[in-house]
Amino acid sequence: MTNILNCVLHYRKLFKKLNRGLQGNTDGRILEAIDVGFKYSNGVIVFDDINLFASDGELVAIAGPSGVGKSTLLRVLGGFIKPYKGEVRLLGKKIVEPTPKISLIHQSIATFPWYTALDNVKLGIKYKKLPKDEEDKIARKMLEIVGLQGFENFYPKQLSGGMRQRVTIARALAADPVVLLMDEPFAHLDELTAEGLRHEIYSILFNEETPLKSVVLVSHNLSEIVELSDRVYVLNGSPASVIGEVKIDLDRPRNPRDSRFQEYLDELYALLTPISKTVKDGKNA
Amino acid sequence: MVKMLDLGVTLFAILLTLSRVFITIILSIVTGWFLAYVAIKNKTFENVYISLSEILESVPVISFFPVVLIFFVLVIGGQLGIQLAVIFLVFTAVVWNIWMGIYQAFKTIPENLLEVSENYRFGFLGKMARLYIPYSIPRISANLIPSFADALFYITVSEVFSIGTKVFQVFGIGTLIADFTAEGDYTDALYALGILAVFTTLITFLLREYAEYSVQKYGLDTEERESFLKRGRIRVRYTARLYSAKSAISRLSKYLTKPPYFISRRERDKEDHEKRKIKLPNKIIGRGIGIVILVILSYLTYTVVSSVSPSTWSYIISTTPFDLVNLAYDYARVAFIALLSFLFAVFLGYYFATRPIADRIGVPIIQSIAAFPAPAYFPLLYGFTYSYVSSVLGPFTNEFYVILLGFVSTFYYIFYSFWLGVKNLPSEYWEIMKNYKMGFRTRMRRVLLPGTFPYIVAGLSSTINSAWGGLAIGEYWPDIFAGHTLEVKIGLMKAIALADNHGDLALVGWLSLIFAIVVVIYSILFTRRMMDLAREKYVAEEGVYAA
Repeated sequence: MTNILNCVLHYRKLFKKLNRGLQGNTDGRILEAIDVGFKYSNGVIVFDDINLFASDGELVAIAGPSGVGKSTLLRVLGGFIKPYKGEVRLLGKKIVEPTPKISLIHQSIATFPWYTALDNVKLGIKYKKLPKDEEDKIARKMLEIVGLQGFENFYPKQLSGGMRQRVTIARALAADPVVLLMDEPFAHLDELTAEGLRHEIYSILFNEETPLKSVVLVSHNLSEIVELSDRVYVLNGSPASVIGEVKIDLDRPRNPRDSRFQEYLDELYALLTPISKTVKDGKNA
Repeated sequence: MVKMLDLGVTLFAILLTLSRVFITIILSIVTGWFLAYVAIKNKTFENVYISLSEILESVPVISFFPVVLIFFVLVIGGQLGIQLAVIFLVFTAVVWNIWMGIYQAFKTIPENLLEVSENYRFGFLGKMARLYIPYSIPRISANLIPSFADALFYITVSEVFSIGTKVFQVFGIGTLIADFTAEGDYTDALYALGILAVFTTLITFLLREYAEYSVQKYGLDTEERESFLKRGRIRVRYTARLYSAKSAISRLSKYLTKPPYFISRRERDKEDHEKRKIKLPNKIIGRGIGIVILVILSYLTYTVVSSVSPSTWSYIISTTPFDLVNLAYDYARVAFIALLSFLFAVFLGYYFATRPIADRIGVPIIQSIAAFPAPAYFPLLYGFTYSYVSSVLGPFTNEFYVILLGFVSTFYYIFYSFWLGVKNLPSEYWEIMKNYKMGFRTRMRRVLLPGTFPYIVAGLSSTINSAWGGLAIGEYWPDIFAGHTLEVKIGLMKAIALADNHGDLALVGWLSLIFAIVVVIYSILFTRRMMDLAREKYVAEEGVYAA
């Protein structure tokens, strides 16, 4: 079963690489941050000279200790906030503002309580100005993909936390994104629900029926990162920078009890050992 | 030399008026502390107190006029009676917000703090000084700006009032500007208005600063702390730094008075739990105070009823159908003012909430304008614009001015509510709106109007209540400017003003009673239902799941 899944994913990646060749030369990089830096209005630099990319069919994770700027970096990648230096490119084009082509999934699960699950998903398609029945069809399809068929008319309050997060994933996928940004998407779920959703998320996201090419995941749960990602950028220091890049070369589905899984965890832990801050003249040295 | 004297007189008048305003506010706060304390300790008193406050809060200030006139002016009499009448009128305008704010603060004191105060055996004064009063400060300060604006609005008209041909007045900025205008001394009137504007702007600024300071000093982050502690780890939101300016507003808005029926389920649960814990130590005192309030109200009702002969009553009652038609006209005006204010609030509120620089400049300006009492400057505005407006609007000129007065007296409440609602929307919603490229219309229809619905209902409710005040002043304003009388053809507020002018207190009382009954029914049938709907379906914070 595992072999079949790996085989399918392998050929899917191959197919996407071929497809990319037809789309134009972006060196396989779907989303790319080049020398990106961000600072607060008081001049404190949060991170600097960040270079990273996410390739086609890749789930890239950004790991780092709390407060290092992971979520801020994610917002910079999505065009929600502007970097003070550097730029972000989507398929080779500079990102200057948020776009449905890069959909963000929040840490605190954000649904609209006055809309049903179906209407919540439809919000992601509004920008396309499609006929209502077309909208309805897409939204239902996306709910089906995330496993919420039959819950279309439920309000968020009537759904569990895990189901609500599935609604936000369906909404994000409905927007037809090229890249999905996930900001600690399982942080507010209980452990069992989070584990269940983690097991499903990869096949949900890289489903043949979704146009998604890459996912960028932010998390400080290292086990989650090793379980889900293809590559990990480790952020640390002050101002933060990418201090390591780890390629996770494990077959899916991944088993946390596997010795190689543990080795990757140890490698990430080692990179995340606190780095002492040096402060000089009130500014970050 | 003359100018120096004028400046001195103007300053003295402003200080007198402001001192009356602050006396009423301080009186409201001090009485609020004691009444709220008795209310949380005694169920009987709490029921009487909250029920009466809810009803009286929904009745516009104008309804208190007959009570004030009869009781203070005729029963107490003299200059003292007039002074007390003015203070009482303003008191009725500001007291409910403050009382309800303090009551809600006392009801929601965290249990662990109450246990600490019990643990260390604080007495009544100890608990008040160390826990109850400090805990209520943020809610009081959040209500100070609207209370100050309300008080100033009503005090400038209350400083001069008449019963029949007899005019009662106390010296203050309201009477001074009215005198200048009546004498045709427009330069001095403008001059006095300018000085008043400086004072109101300065005080509004200070109150705003104080509100933010008090939230920083006395506010608790209990709710947020509780929620992340439940998850066993600290939730660091990137927005905490990026939107630090917003957090002060979000926190401040938590302290704005919510009607008791709009208290969240969690707060209610807490209240219920608290109620079970209270051992009713002041049962007799509480019941006593409740009974005294009921007796006073009964006595006032008796005074009004018994002072009029049965034949007069039967005549007055027979005019009721016509009075209801009058009221229908007024409701149409109020609806128009509310709609106008709503449109103004939605566009301007959205504009400010989405543009930080405009927001920092524009909102304080609007707050200052709102605090600047319309009755003081309106005669001059009327005088300077009348010839142009009448040439354009012809027979609708007076109607225009009445609506304008209603609008300038009330737009602030719905504007401020909507603006606060927009500012308070979860940051995730803003990101979603940007992410999915929602245009203005989609944003409004899908997110902003539903997301701010509870704020809109609360703001509209205040706007409607205050619009009645504007109509009460504007529908019949004799000698508003150079012998002109501003009056509408038909309207209940005009009927009340005319009856008052003819000294027909029985009719004033009857019309006010009809008005009060209709307003209370409206409040129960409409406002509360809207509030229930808002609580049930439109609380934006509930859409952001952070278990």
